Amino acid sequence: MTNFGSSAPVALSVSNVWKVFGRDHGSFKSRPASARTAEAMAKDHLVGAVQAASFDIRKGEVFVIMGLSGSGKSTLLRCLTRLIEPSEGEIRFDGQDILSLNETALADLRRRKMGMVFQHFALLPNRTVLGNIAFPLEVQGIARAQAEDRARELVSLVGLSGRESRLPSELSGGQQQRVGIARSLATNPDFWFLDEPFSALDPLIRADLQDEVQRLQREHSRTAVFVTHDLDEAIRLADRIAIMENGRIVQIGTAEDLVTRPATDYVRRFVAKVPPARVICASSLIKAPVAAVSGLTVSGDATIADIASKIVADAGEITVVDPMGKPIGLLDRQKALETMAMKI
Amino acid sequence: MASDALRGKGFGWVYGAASVVVFLAVSILVLPSDFAGSPNAPWLGVAAWVDRAMTWLVRDASIGGLALSDLTRALAAAAQAPIEAMQKVLAEGWVTGAGFNKTQILPPMSWLGLTLGCAFVAYRLAGPALAIFAVVSGLYLASFGLWISAMMTLASVLFCVLVALLLGLALGIRAHRAPHIEPVVRAIMNVMQTVPIFSYLLPTLLLFGYGPSAALFATVAYAMPPMVHATVLALQAVPSDTLDLARMTGCSRRQTLWRVELPVAMPRLAIGLNQVVMMTLNMVIIASMIGAGGLGYDVLRALRRLDFGAAFEAGMAIVVLAVLLDRMTQAMARRQSAGTTGTSGLRTGIILAGLVIVPTLASLAVPALALWPKAATLSIAQPLNDAVSYINQRFFDPLDSLRTFALLKLMNPFRDALQMLPWPLAISAVAVLAGWLGGRGAAFSVFAMGLFVVVTGYWSATMGSLYLTILAVLLSLALGFPFGIWVAAKPRMQQGVQLLLDTLQTLPTLVYLLPAVMLFRNGDFSALIAIVSYSVAPAVRYAIDGMRHVPPERVEAAAMAGCSKWQTFRYVRLPAALPTLLLGVNQTVMMALSMLVIAALVGTRELGQQVFTSLSQGLAGPGIVAGLCVACLALIIDTLLKAAAARAVQRNGVAHD
Amino acid sequence: MAKMKTMILTGTAALLIGGSAQAFEPESDQPIKLMQADWTSMLVHTEILNIVLSTYGYTVEKVIADDSARYPGFESGDLTIALETWQTTQDKAFNASVGTGKVLDMGELGPHAREDWWYPAYMAELCPGLPDWTALKSCAEAFAAPETAPKGRYLGAPVAWGGFDEERIQALDLPFEVVHAGTDAAMFAELKSAYERKAPIMLWVYEPHWAPSVFEGAFVEFPPYEDACYADPAWGLNPNAAHDCGKPQGWIKKMAWAEGEKIWPCAYDIVRKFTMDGDEVGKLVYEVDVNGRSVEDVAMEWATANEAKWREWSACAAN
Ligand SMILES: Nc1ncnc2c1ncn2[C@@H]1O[C@H](COP(=O)(O)OP(=O)(O)OP(=O)(O)O)[C@@H](O)[C@H]1O
Ligand SMILES: [Mg+2]
Repeated sequence: MTNFGSSAPVALSVSNVWKVFGRDHGSFKSRPASARTAEAMAKDHLVGAVQAASFDIRKGEVFVIMGLSGSGKSTLLRCLTRLIEPSEGEIRFDGQDILSLNETALADLRRRKMGMVFQHFALLPNRTVLGNIAFPLEVQGIARAQAEDRARELVSLVGLSGRESRLPSELSGGQQQRVGIARSLATNPDFWFLDEPFSALDPLIRADLQDEVQRLQREHSRTAVFVTHDLDEAIRLADRIAIMENGRIVQIGTAEDLVTRPATDYVRRFVAKVPPARVICASSLIKAPVAAVSGLTVSGDATIADIASKIVADAGEITVVDPMGKPIGLLDRQKALETMAMKI
Repeated sequence: MASDALRGKGFGWVYGAASVVVFLAVSILVLPSDFAGSPNAPWLGVAAWVDRAMTWLVRDASIGGLALSDLTRALAAAAQAPIEAMQKVLAEGWVTGAGFNKTQILPPMSWLGLTLGCAFVAYRLAGPALAIFAVVSGLYLASFGLWISAMMTLASVLFCVLVALLLGLALGIRAHRAPHIEPVVRAIMNVMQTVPIFSYLLPTLLLFGYGPSAALFATVAYAMPPMVHATVLALQAVPSDTLDLARMTGCSRRQTLWRVELPVAMPRLAIGLNQVVMMTLNMVIIASMIGAGGLGYDVLRALRRLDFGAAFEAGMAIVVLAVLLDRMTQAMARRQSAGTTGTSGLRTGIILAGLVIVPTLASLAVPALALWPKAATLSIAQPLNDAVSYINQRFFDPLDSLRTFALLKLMNPFRDALQMLPWPLAISAVAVLAGWLGGRGAAFSVFAMGLFVVVTGYWSATMGSLYLTILAVLLSLALGFPFGIWVAAKPRMQQGVQLLLDTLQTLPTLVYLLPAVMLFRNGDFSALIAIVSYSVAPAVRYAIDGMRHVPPERVEAAAMAGCSKWQTFRYVRLPAALPTLLLGVNQTVMMALSMLVIAALVGTRELGQQVFTSLSQGLAGPGIVAGLCVACLALIIDTLLKAAAARAVQRNGVAHD
Repeated sequence: MAKMKTMILTGTAALLIGGSAQAFEPESDQPIKLMQADWTSMLVHTEILNIVLSTYGYTVEKVIADDSARYPGFESGDLTIALETWQTTQDKAFNASVGTGKVLDMGELGPHAREDWWYPAYMAELCPGLPDWTALKSCAEAFAAPETAPKGRYLGAPVAWGGFDEERIQALDLPFEVVHAGTDAAMFAELKSAYERKAPIMLWVYEPHWAPSVFEGAFVEFPPYEDACYADPAWGLNPNAAHDCGKPQGWIKKMAWAEGEKIWPCAYDIVRKFTMDGDEVGKLVYEVDVNGRSVEDVAMEWATANEAKWREWSACAAN
């Protein structure tokens, strides 16, 4: 969404995380690196659902994990939150190693810092909209009246005003997920985890909710980890995307990186259907630096598709500017037109 | 799972086959005289050991210096206190003295007050229909002169339901938390449900004393297991997403349990609650045989004088209590799971108190409010008795020829065949079957239990029980499954069928069994009727449940494939419902086995009768051992069915419960 | 509030039955636990004793217990007094229990139990030699059922009651087969069924019981019982088998927890003197079972009519 400056501090740091399933998973730690190949592990009936995952997520960044079904996305997300115990590795939230926390400290960290949205909503059927949203606050022992006030704010934030006392069974799927989103934000967490939050919804409602997430991030940006297998969704929401294949992260980068510089054939096939104009930014197509604005201006992080109308409408020069409005350079119109014409 | 089966089919079978051959060979060569015959004398003095163990347990056992019997006595006293307090409030009032100087200090609740209060609560919980039912029930109990007995029963039943509910819930939660103990808990529950109370009555009386607490103990032992099963299943069915939610919001264990798991599991827990209520009221008769008094005692007394009509009236009062209690608790559970806040609130409380207290105070001045006037008491006993006599005089002969045919041509030959079966062959065959279905562990446990029956000398009696059970289960399934499948497609008949099943489960069997004895005489045929009439209920229930839960998309797929109605049933519905139906078979078997002891009351000669005989001789050992043989039968059949169900689930989908 | 109090007081006064405060102070206010099983005569007797003891201020509890499961209770003091122990079914267990020294034999209640093979009056026509037992040898077929034919069907008591009927049939060479009833009620249900249809039946009946007073019939007369008959094969018609005679007539005894003698000596004295007349018992049972009156009413009526009698039993409390 925004071209992420590398200036923000690292919020979530993951290094060399493994998750191995199988009857004999306990013995994994003692395996030498040479015995950690897929074939070697398969022989011992071990499944490396997540293998040697390492990356840093910066504060306020939206980090999307993508991959085919079974590639290990959910497992990775659940390792980050310690919903499952990683077999090996290190995970730091704001510098704090969460794998070393005990039960209570972990619960405390989750209460204060984490919010999560689930694929199948996971609403409590016995509680109303308000009750569901207030639930994380109640768990923290916040007084009922105060919790409900906060829940009411969130109800209107996600556009469910007037439906506070409905039960989940009386809401549509889209509305239910809005409750799920509101609930995940009730404690105002620094970290936001979303595991395929919209994959159970139809395309129109999905688009609505994607807008909703974008809006919420604009209003208050949080460090978010978002799992999806919908590339379109990833492109819309991600600052950076990690692509997983059979438990390994094969590439991490912006959408543009993936499309223009795919690391493997797998990634290439993955992004093959994306029109480059949708991911290539204006700042990538500059022919000459300039000092002053001349003619039309476009933002550097706008995609070519975003500014297509300006390119086509006017034959004059177009200046690319940074978020502060300072000019970076002149747009290479020829390349831009080629990009737009590029077939998928 | 799959690799287990593979292993079982590899080397395991070689060893298995070898051990069967060796076992048979040893049985033939070492025990030639016993091979063909059925051992009826114990080889090992198990009964005597049990007797000694019981004596020790009751007399000398102690925990940290505190004698076990003192502990149980204290427990019994603690349990008895609330029951007695309830009985005072509901039935007796506060009375001092007796005989010629009896003085009543405070009256019990007036029947009118309690009926109105109950109707009011029913109205708030579930609307006018249940309220009307409550009023009609109250009027029935009062006007038929059953009020006092009904209140005595209600007092102990309420307490039993509460205890069974809480214990079952606690045990179920425990078993769910530690999945490795789940099979053990399941086995213990099956034993508790099938070992008849009379087999361990003597030690129970010594430990808990005479009176309601022994009955309470027996009732809880019988009514708790379904709650445990239901709790485990309900908690297992809580979606994993929901549990993740609990962890992600940082719930403590307690918060997870009380705020997430139990509320989400409530609809399924309610099924367990329903069974607890039904089984508790089903035990009213047996409880009254060992000192609980109340309606069950009325039924027994009426039957002693062959007043079938009066027994029916008292029996129906038990049904009325069961249905009312069930519908009210179900409504409470529904409200809880629907998130509606309870009926609490000061105004509701005041209205309720007013409805109960005003008629109670008025009853001091108007005796008719304390107790329905004797002169106006209604009864349909006489016409019922006349009807029984009429049927007896008109239809005895055709019915008797039916009985003679069934007995001589079907039942006796089957029983004789089973009892002729050489036992080494029989248990080997069953063990092999268990091994094929469920692996080595199943084979071993089945074999061990079979051997237990043989060495204790109850082989022939056990075969007598087995033959009755098999026939009863087959009949129950033949009647219950088609009926349930038929009813499942007719949602409008639901309520009626539910009522019918509840009646079958709680109307004391003896109430219609003794009239049946008039028509079918003492013996196995009447016993068969008794067992079937009780065990048909789970067959119907599970058939309905299974057919209801067939995934609709499969039915639609079949329709699109152009299946006829019959084909859809045969190839789609039936396979999909199969796991549930197998669970239904299991419950039918358990209910049939738990009825053996009642069947013994109309003159069978099998384990149930053995239990009564050793009781009347004052021997604890043989009774317990015979009871354990019933449990062995139950566990063997459970093992086989569970393994079969696991296979069916692998192929066709999940079981609903 | 004041109004409520008066209402309660009026109510209390209205419900006060009888009144004279007794000068007698019971030895102990521990509850005396009267055992009752589920047959009518025992219920009536126990209620009468309850009235008597309560009148003298004893704390009394009635405890329901199974006929056969009573002994551990009496040995441990869970049960204090039972007014009926039938020799016919409890002989062995009772003697064994008394043998422990923890249980007292409190003497006979009065009536004697009779039990034996019994047939309805209309069967006498089909089997002319009755009530003499030898008649059964020739007309067994008149008592046959399909599953026993050509032998006669004899409906015995529940297996648990014993009774040696299989042995009796062997010893006397009777062409009969025993079918055991499951309970007392199931036994008499068959009698009722047969009686209504005037159908053949031969069964175990015992007295005192309401059935012989409602259904007309007679006991079969076997060679009269002697102890030697059961113990010694040489005795009687069949020199090779015991049990070649009728059944013993049995006492009905009162029993008590031995320790209680020290706690309530006077109450125990009353129980020892407590006796009933056989015919009277029959009438009381008839009132309850056939006329359908409540046990409490019938007992209270008897107590009112026989006050002099039970006050005499209670001499030790009448100081
Ligand atoms: N509890 C488990 N035990 C054994 N294997 C598991 C377990 N959970 C996941 N796996 C395996 O780990 C791999 C990754 O699973 P994961 O659920 O993370 O995939 P995913 O990318 O989230 O797929 P989807 O898009 O379908 O959700 C799969 O091969 C799966 O079979
Ligand atoms: Mg996933």
